[in-house]
Formats: sequence, C-alpha cells, structure tokens
Amino acid sequence: MKAEQYNRMTDQQLLENYQSSHDNEWLGILLERYTLLLLGVCMKYLKNEEEARDSVQQIFLKVIQELQKYRVEYFKSWLYMVAKNHCLMKIRDRQGKVPAELTERVMAAPDEETDWQALLQNDRVLDLMDESLNELSPEQKQCVTLFYLEKKSYQEISEETGFSMLQVKSYIQNGKRNLKLMIEKKLKQT
Amino acid sequence: MQDNLKDILANLNTEIDQETLLLYLQDKLPASQKHDVERKLSASEFEHDALEGLQQFDDKKKIAHLVEMLNRDLKKKVARKTRRREKLRLKDQPWLIFAVVIFLLLIVLCYMIIHRMIQAQ
Repeated sequence: MKAEQYNRMTDQQLLENYQSSHDNEWLGILLERYTLLLLGVCMKYLKNEEEARDSVQQIFLKVIQELQKYRVEYFKSWLYMVAKNHCLMKIRDRQGKVPAELTERVMAAPDEETDWQALLQNDRVLDLMDESLNELSPEQKQCVTLFYLEKKSYQEISEETGFSMLQVKSYIQNGKRNLKLMIEKKLKQT
Repeated sequence: MQDNLKDILANLNTEIDQETLLLYLQDKLPASQKHDVERKLSASEFEHDALEGLQQFDDKKKIAHLVEMLNRDLKKKVARKTRRREKLRLKDQPWLIFAVVIFLLLIVLCYMIIHRMIQAQ
C-alpha cells in the first residue's frame, strides 16, 4: 500500500518532502527510481561492470551529501549531470586525462531549450519539418521515417535496411538533431 | 501523418518504468511495445545513454540482480544516515539534558544523605 502510494508521487513531490522533513527515506525512494538508469550511464562511460556498480554506490552517497547542502530544482537532469561528471573523474583518474571527444560529449551544455511543444502547433513548422526531412542524408531520412512515421522498432529497421542496430540508433539521433537545427535556422530566416 | 511528424520533435513524456526497461533489454517485449519504449528512450539523453550502457552487459539477466543489490545497499545507507541524525537530534533537546543533570544531581544527593546517615550511626 505504502509502495503504491510512493509510486504515484512525482520526483518533485518526493524532493519537496525530503527538503521539508530532511528525512533521508524520501531520498531513498527517489534514488531507487534511477538505479537502473545510473547503472547504464556508468556502464556506458566506464565499460566495466564492477566499476559501474561501485560508481552507482558512490553517486548515491554524493547525492545524499549534496542534497543536504544545496537545493535542487530539476532532480533528474541534475542527477544525470552528477553521474556523467563522476564517470569523467573516474576516467581521468584511470588514464591521467580524459579523451577530448569524451570531454566534449560529457561536458557539453544541454541544448538550448526551444519550446517545441508550442512551435508544433504551428502549421508552418510542420511544413518546414516535412521539407527538412527530405534534406537529411538518405540513411537518416530512411531511419527517422521508419522509426517515427511508420513506428517500427530498431530491430525491425535494422532487418529492413541492413544497417546494424548501432547505426540505426545513430541515424535516428543524428537525424533528429539535424532536423531541429534545420528548422531553427529556417525559422530565424523567416 | 502530421501527428506522427510532431512526434519527432515533441518533448514527450520519457518516464519509463524499470521493469519495462528490463523486459526490453531481455528482448521480451512485443514489437509494438518495443517501439514505444525506444521512442521514449530516444527522447531523453539520460535514458538514451543508460540504454547504451545496459546493452553492454554480457548477461542481461544479471542486471535485475545488480539493481536489487544496489537498492538494498541504498536502503541501508539511508537508514544509517537517518539513525545517526536521530541520535544527533537528541542532543539538540535541552529538556533532555536538563532531565539528565537533575537525575545525576539526585543520585549525588542520595549518596550524600546515605553517606551521612551511615556516618551518624
């Protein structure tokens, strides 16, 4: 019953309960929601199961300590940043320095937020999107179309196109990013 | 078609429960659900990175066990911190300190009375 009640609470509510009562139990409930994601992020950067597991434990400790000192507004994005920075430090300790491409990727500031939700109500934006879709590379266009418009899974796209799963994911991610950039550029020009 | 186009750039709700994600990793979801999970995962950088990492585990079944162990450890950490804080909180209560001092004074007083009575005999 209690667990069900907690499940219905948002991250923000759990965080507010923690901030007002300073009871770490709320923090425990909140962090449990992200254990799997943290394990994945640590594994992605550290590429070692044991190190990833230890890092998740260290991140938990860091979060408990930091939240006693600072007030955090957007828990999920803050937690993601803490995890990425922790991994970066680990890699630095291990190798003496961090490969430049990883530093750029980890330290890159999040994309400037465009209110796409509002923009998408505009028919002109949808026309631009249709137009920009045709300007993507053939691979990106094919993968984005199959994924978003035909609602196919990565595996189905991989079977249909002959690309590896990794390539499919990359074409979709890059295609989506390029679409955003193209539309933003076109909107600025008009 | 237009609604599907909106999906590409809309900030969709990316919340995805751990159980569904574990089933996805073990390839136990039907194709329709798979696409839904992937769409949510691709909308958030956090989830996207996590998926990439989780797919690097040799044995996907081990992931659930690891998560369980980590959660158990987290509960211990949280309980330990709470207990420590409760102990510290006791120190902050002046009436408790006052009661302890009175109690100690009473013991000393009783000792002195008994001591004098013994000496008087």
